[in-house]
Amino acid sequence: MLTLQNVSAGYNGIDVIYNISLSVKEGESLCIIGPNGCGKTTLIKAISGIISHDGIIKIDGTDINNMKREQVAKKIAVMSQISTIYFSYSIYETVLLGRYLHMKGRTFKEPSARDREYTDKCLKAVGLLNIKHKQISTLSGGQLQRVYLARTLAQEPSIILLDEPTNHLDLKHQTELIDFLRDWSKYEGHSVIGVMHDLNLATKLSDNMLVLDNGNIAAYGNTNDVISSNLLNEVYDMNVTEYMVDSLRHWESFDSYYKNKLRKVN
Amino acid sequence: MKLKYKIILSIILSIIVLMMGVGLGSVNVPPSHIISVISNKIFSTPLPAEIQGTPSVSIIWKLRLPRALLAFLVGGAVAVSGSVMQSVLKNPLASSYTLGVSSGASLGAAIVIVTGFNIPFLGLFTLPVTGLIFGMVTVFAAVKFAAMMDKNLETNTIILVGMVFSLFVNAILTLIMAIARDHLAQLTYWQMGSFSLKDWSSVMILFPLVLVGIIILQSYTKEMDIMTFGEEQAFTMGVDVHKIKWSLLSLSAALTGSAIAFVGVIGFIDLIAPHVVRKIFGSNHRTVIPMSMFFGGSFMVICDLVARTIISPSELPVGAITALIGAPFFAYVYFSRRKGV
Repeated sequence: MLTLQNVSAGYNGIDVIYNISLSVKEGESLCIIGPNGCGKTTLIKAISGIISHDGIIKIDGTDINNMKREQVAKKIAVMSQISTIYFSYSIYETVLLGRYLHMKGRTFKEPSARDREYTDKCLKAVGLLNIKHKQISTLSGGQLQRVYLARTLAQEPSIILLDEPTNHLDLKHQTELIDFLRDWSKYEGHSVIGVMHDLNLATKLSDNMLVLDNGNIAAYGNTNDVISSNLLNEVYDMNVTEYMVDSLRHWESFDSYYKNKLRKVN
Repeated sequence: MKLKYKIILSIILSIIVLMMGVGLGSVNVPPSHIISVISNKIFSTPLPAEIQGTPSVSIIWKLRLPRALLAFLVGGAVAVSGSVMQSVLKNPLASSYTLGVSSGASLGAAIVIVTGFNIPFLGLFTLPVTGLIFGMVTVFAAVKFAAMMDKNLETNTIILVGMVFSLFVNAILTLIMAIARDHLAQLTYWQMGSFSLKDWSSVMILFPLVLVGIIILQSYTKEMDIMTFGEEQAFTMGVDVHKIKWSLLSLSAALTGSAIAFVGVIGFIDLIAPHVVRKIFGSNHRTVIPMSMFFGGSFMVICDLVARTIISPSELPVGAITALIGAPFFAYVYFSRRKGV
């Protein structure tokens, strides 16, 4: 469905990612991990066409350089990180904007009954339907993140690109978002490509994992095969395994439930 | 209150303000007479006996109605342009003036006033047409230069280049004013803006320009909404950001340029109208654009009414009145609503 062949990209003529090749099938979730500055966001920007690239990016066999902007946007939607809100809109108005390409062509781009229904469906999916008339300027970071996810879904894309989607979310909403994306991908046959910092969540979401290090592929393949202590320690330049075990020990110190669980694991 | 009722109420208020603009002055004319005169002139219906042969008919039809309509059109056009500029440049202080429309138009007007230059077939319209051309050329030069400096046409680049161009053109204008001191009063007065001695010809030229401009802008409201969330986001949602940005900047500059070319520089409305309208009607441009037209137009009619009646028979420059009335009104609406949120 989506294939990259030797893709390099960067800013002001200086490449940040080099010769990236991968493929993402329908219904597949791919997580991109790696330390800060390794080129995760740059890769997302190259795939979405925000920055130009060398090499070949194909969607359903067609080079995106030969596709119109609108054709690419019908296939790929990007949920970016939260940015400044200059002017406030209601949640409903914001999500309805995701239907832009579907409304285009009509007089003054008026939404159809289907656009309104689909917007409600997306709002329901992220649990915001009952507060759809609230202004987005009054929402918490987590709620706003869900509004942007709903708007991304409203585009009806076959591929969603997410740049650190769990930022601003509490634990409950992080898990809910990951479960939602996994279901959306598995049961509706769409693809999800996400840049993640949280290794636990990345592991939970992904079928395949891409580990980037200094703009190069450090590892790529099935998540269970790719994730290894040696690789993570090397890429993040720290003892990742020790850090994770250490985090669990903190739990052990004040929660008997986890104490017992850890004992069983040990 | 529901949005629909707010819109209906605003339209009714705009009509009342226009009636006041036509009816009040040295001679007060009741609304029924205003309607009778308009009906008589357009549909040839008979005039009521009490105003037949009185100066009221001429005052309404030849002086006050074109003046009030022109004020409404100018105020509306400048306000709509301000709304668009603020959205496209994602800056609540941006306006066409940021990109040099007023300095360009003022320079064009100064050249015509100082040299007495006259385009034969345009006659009296040489001044507004030259003002419009200079205003537009300044904006195009600024945006073109910004595009050369930054191929992504980033908002900050546009604002900075616009300000540099604006200051540069203003410096030339200052030099002209310093050299041609005989015309200093006329140049200064033009820069203050005025609706005095304007007749139907100005209205007839400006009306189609403003109408077409607003209809075209109204067709871009979805793109404006999307672009306020950031250009990268808009791009990934399928908006041709570069093309739309050029179109919107040119259209709104043309709207302001053509409006101020007839009456001189009118400031402040372009800044306050979008904020007040967004506070009352929300940020959706589908409503913001037409409501900016109604609010800006009504506000300008009130300012002109104050300008011509407060020290009657003399007139104050309307440009000063817009700021005098607008600043406290803006502070009241903006901060009181903010406290309430």
